[in-house]
Amino acid sequence: MACRRYFFTLTRHYSSLRASKSQSFHPLKSLTSHIPFLQRLPHTLSPTFDSPSFLFRNFSSRTKNPKNPKIIDDEYDDHDDNVEDDDEDEDDEEDDEEDYSSEEEVAVSNEPSKFSDRSYFAEDKIQEAADIGYKVIEPLQRSDRVFKPYEPAFAVVQVGSHQFKVSNGDCIYVEKLKYCEVNDKLILNKVLMAGSPTQTMIGRPILPDVAVNAVVEEHALDAKVIIFKKKRRKNYRRTKGHRQELTRLRITDIQGIEKPETPLAVKPAKTSAKKAEKVAVAA
Amino acid sequence: TSFRGAHSRLTQTIAQQKIRALVSARRDRDRQKRDFRRLWITRINTVIRKKGVYYNYSKFIHELYKRQLLLNHKILAQIAILNRNFIYMIYNENIKNEDSKE
Repeated sequence: MACRRYFFTLTRHYSSLRASKSQSFHPLKSLTSHIPFLQRLPHTLSPTFDSPSFLFRNFSSRTKNPKNPKIIDDEYDDHDDNVEDDDEDEDDEEDDEEDYSSEEEVAVSNEPSKFSDRSYFAEDKIQEAADIGYKVIEPLQRSDRVFKPYEPAFAVVQVGSHQFKVSNGDCIYVEKLKYCEVNDKLILNKVLMAGSPTQTMIGRPILPDVAVNAVVEEHALDAKVIIFKKKRRKNYRRTKGHRQELTRLRITDIQGIEKPETPLAVKPAKTSAKKAEKVAVAA
Repeated sequence: TSFRGAHSRLTQTIAQQKIRALVSARRDRDRQKRDFRRLWITRINTVIRKKGVYYNYSKFIHELYKRQLLLNHKILAQIAILNRNFIYMIYNENIKNEDSKE
């Protein structure tokens, strides 16, 4: 789907989005001016916060260099209160993201700006969205060695309304997935077909036991597309630019299918087709 | 750039050609979706026709819908080219199920 290969990471875009959503009380003009406001954010909004799920960070060390975004958040370990809510900006490899106080912005970025409501709906929203996009989030981990060398098995996975033929080590560009961040591990449940040199599984319509693991690599914008409308001889022309928001996933593993041990097995020795009889599951 | 002759040298024509390029880009982005689907259909058709006389794309797709297989055309075309045996396996299953059902 994303044919264009020129990308630029979404970090700046996201940070401005988050700031603007959280700062509905404070009109803000530029990115750098967000930061002094954010220092005040916990204090101004504390009466509306009930739960310990909001973590108030110490901003003093962070605001020294508003223009230098290289803040690595290594010693941050407040995972106790927030298991459901998405953690904010803990990318060990993505140095460009700036840190913000409230965490709900990632989870429910399109909600109206009421912090107390967000904590109630976040769990359900995440579950629903996961069903729509056929993904399940696992927490990010640093010390996992998830990336295996190439195995000759493939699976056909559906994300949203797009299908991809995927095998180990591929990277696919997918419509922006809302509730995951960089370095998240996902499980893609909706697998329509899986194959390997020794085994073929065809799902009717999906295979229930096969799961595909993926890691979110980046949230980025596609290359710019210029939309140009013109009516000749009528003095009408419009120019508009558009960048689609995408997520890049790297496929790490396909579970539930036999993989041959010798990687050079080209011709299938024995082929057994399994069918999962399922009454039509709504896509 | 790939504009030939005067279309890359004369300023007025450059402006005109740029506009035409953008317009045709817009029109072709919609066409692209149609074109690719056509391409996939013809590819699936050729691979399926080898399976026997009087067996063609339309019957294959009809069988797919009957069996509730939700693979879309893009994937089918990819599989048809890269992993041809899998298409044949789908076809075999359809045949087997027909015999067992009837």
